[in-house]
Amino acid sequence: MDSLYLAWRYLCFYKVRSFILIGCITVIAALPLALEILVNESERQLSLRAESTPLLIGAKGSALDLVMNSLYFSDASPEPITMAAVDQILESDLASPIPLLIRYRSRTFPIVGTTLDYLDFRQLEIKSGNPFSLLGQCLVGAEIARQLDLGPGDHLTSSPEAMFDIAGVYPLKMRISGVLAETNSADDRAVFVDIRTAWIISGLGHGHTDLAKSTDESVILKREAGQVTANAKLMQYNEITEDNIDRFHLHGDPVTFPITAVLALPHDEKSGTILQGRYLDQDSNYQIVTPAKVVDSLLANIFRIRNVLDAVILMVGTATLMALVLVFSLSLRLRSKEMETIFKIGSSRATISRLLGAEITIIGCLSGLLCLIIMLLLNHYDVELVRRLFI
Amino acid sequence: MIRLSDVRFCYPTGEFRLAIPEMSVAAGEKVAVIGPSGSGKTTLLNLVAGILAPDNGSINIAGTDLDRATDQSRRDFRITTIGFIFQDFGLIDYLDVLDNILHPYRITSSLTLTAPIRQRALELAEQLGVDARLKHHPATLSHGERQRVAICRALLPDPKLILADEATGNLDPDNKQLILDALFEATSTNHTTLLAVTHDHELLGRFDRIVDFRDFLVNEPEAS
Amino acid sequence: MNTRMSLYVLPAITTLTLLFSANCLAGKPLTVYTVNYPLAYFSERIGGEFVDVVFPAPADVDPAFWTPDEETIGGYQKADLIIINGAGYAKWTQKVSLPLMRQVNTSKSFKDEYISIEMNVTHRHGPEGDHSHAGTAFTTWLDLSLASRQAEAIYKALSRKLMDQKSIVQKNFEALIADLLHLDEQLQDLSDKKPALPLLGSHPIYQYLARGYGLNISMVMWEPDEDPGEQQWRNLQTLVEDHATSWMLWEDSPRPESVKRLEEMGIKSLVYSPCFNRPDEGDFLTVMQQNVDNLSVVFSGAD
Repeated sequence: MDSLYLAWRYLCFYKVRSFILIGCITVIAALPLALEILVNESERQLSLRAESTPLLIGAKGSALDLVMNSLYFSDASPEPITMAAVDQILESDLASPIPLLIRYRSRTFPIVGTTLDYLDFRQLEIKSGNPFSLLGQCLVGAEIARQLDLGPGDHLTSSPEAMFDIAGVYPLKMRISGVLAETNSADDRAVFVDIRTAWIISGLGHGHTDLAKSTDESVILKREAGQVTANAKLMQYNEITEDNIDRFHLHGDPVTFPITAVLALPHDEKSGTILQGRYLDQDSNYQIVTPAKVVDSLLANIFRIRNVLDAVILMVGTATLMALVLVFSLSLRLRSKEMETIFKIGSSRATISRLLGAEITIIGCLSGLLCLIIMLLLNHYDVELVRRLFI
Repeated sequence: MIRLSDVRFCYPTGEFRLAIPEMSVAAGEKVAVIGPSGSGKTTLLNLVAGILAPDNGSINIAGTDLDRATDQSRRDFRITTIGFIFQDFGLIDYLDVLDNILHPYRITSSLTLTAPIRQRALELAEQLGVDARLKHHPATLSHGERQRVAICRALLPDPKLILADEATGNLDPDNKQLILDALFEATSTNHTTLLAVTHDHELLGRFDRIVDFRDFLVNEPEAS
Repeated sequence: MNTRMSLYVLPAITTLTLLFSANCLAGKPLTVYTVNYPLAYFSERIGGEFVDVVFPAPADVDPAFWTPDEETIGGYQKADLIIINGAGYAKWTQKVSLPLMRQVNTSKSFKDEYISIEMNVTHRHGPEGDHSHAGTAFTTWLDLSLASRQAEAIYKALSRKLMDQKSIVQKNFEALIADLLHLDEQLQDLSDKKPALPLLGSHPIYQYLARGYGLNISMVMWEPDEDPGEQQWRNLQTLVEDHATSWMLWEDSPRPESVKRLEEMGIKSLVYSPCFNRPDEGDFLTVMQQNVDNLSVVFSGAD
């Protein structure tokens, strides 16, 4: 008996209904599995990056914000601390510090102000070009280079903030010195600059023409012995080049300049413990966190949410299956004439049940196949998907 | 070919009773069954086809006693020996013309679909004038074309007996004649017996014999 | 140990020792980049065979005002250690990106003792173009007690990197300190002979020397190989009226015309080299010793 053939013809004739049924079953089957894959990958990526970061120091406040901003370059910047925190760690001789200033963006990509030590720490390799050497240069992640079709020698501009605020942050045009190799981490979507370049972006430093030698009196507010004061007309350079780099300068003592966090790499376990102990003082303005613990806590919450999601999916799935049962039973009712004909011709009434069974088998197999394809694709692209969607 | 003897049948509800003391149809004979609506003509066809089992009496079709056969035996016998043609054509919407003709071979293991069968289906389609519509679905066919497809389906297993239940009931006058012509021609070729229920008195002249069902109807309950 | 044993054991020990030494020698030396010659010298003395010291500034350029090209900056970035003077020396280090963890700011331990200078006149010497000495004085190593602290910073950094050779490195460091402190002692003895003796400095680079050894040095901004110009001569004349002195310290051998004109003013010349660059002959110590010898003439009683 050609149940499968007849079932196939039936499904092909009622294409829309068949697609809807296959789609529903595929979604119900694939959703929990997809969720499992994505959540597992999220956990893996979050944990991996957190575990590779020994200690993080920042302003007192939300440890989660501090970790998410420092490790995954999230939008929410924690309260800033100063470079004095870096000096403090250097002087303690307990750990090596890597300052981070993650506050500004270039288009949608975070600008990470740091030192070259960050590249060594994260073992980031240069795919093309060189690391930034002069102020005003930047190193871009692989995904940025791919998305914007950029390479060494091209330029990227920091996004201005408070466009209509005279005292706002001006855009800085940065020359790309190099492109990083793919890492499948948040680093692929980041623009790395020297911490001093980040301070220039923030307005703590700038470059302009030499006032002492300037012949344009319209920019001069007043001249006194040994001091020239300019007015607001003075044009500041928005790009650091080899010709004007000497005219760029920072205003103030860098020790007081802001950073968002310090990555602390203890020399050994004992040093790490001692260092943590030093920040436990209630009066301290700083907090020291172990990123792995913060992320573990976050994941525990995600796990609880996942349980709820699983329960919801189960209920939705049950409801969908019940609806599918209803659809098939209604389908049987609609095919009563066909049943009658088949019976009269000489087949049993059970033939319809076999035909229905064959349809369900085909639908099930097709859904299963689609589900398998989806799972294979997810398994292949899970790393990138999680990075784009969640991290 | 068909012999009914002292057949009595009553539906479980008890509302309808049928009693046929004696009825026979010779092989190759074309018999029309007439009678008022509700007189049991379709019930007769169902008894002859083995769809229903009589309460009493014997039904012998081509030498086989259907009254003693099991349900499965009656179905197997029906699909291999009897062709059914319905008033509403009974075609399967989701199958094209060729698949509809081959349908009996796909719904039972008693028939085997082979290349010669496929070839015969094509020949029948050509004979009945539907060979140009093999890939079409019933919804796109005219009523006459649909009934001709149904006739092909009924004839494909080379049945000994064709049961037609108001086969021309849904056709216009021109098509009625054409269908009857096709049916008669097809059944004549293989000396197939035809038992046709019809209300069309205009067509009665074409049959070999007419059976009036008013003779077999029992309306009142049998005295105990 | 009997003779038979020694036939086997001694060669074995010798072979093992040679292999061990060979292994040490075969190990890649640390690459150490410095911003001036004195720091390069200290690194070479302390690190010995275990370091490969690179001081890439050209010999004819003052390293304080030199700017390396991108390729050289790349060399600094890849070095195992980058030895910085601090006190604002080599302003190019403020404009380039160097890894913080591999930098050693050798004067950080005495940053509270930096000397500020207020002179804000630009001048030019060498191919680097105009520059100014305003801000913080940076020739810290001319005070040899500070130089020894800079050497100590290098020693600490090297001993952290060369854990297996720590004892050798320590020995080297102690030898260097002994040499530096010997010179320091000589300078102290000299200045004790005539405290606050007025002196002239041809270039504003002797601040730490003056403070460290109690020398009363007033500095102008002259170049040894250039005519300072009449205005500068007049300024000098005015200066010596308040700061009567018989000696001017030059960073390098001055032009004979300047020497002659100074002598006409009653001022003799002596060379006190800051030793920014690697000398053609000798090394940092021999140059400093020569400086001390030159200065001793001033304090020996002869005017």
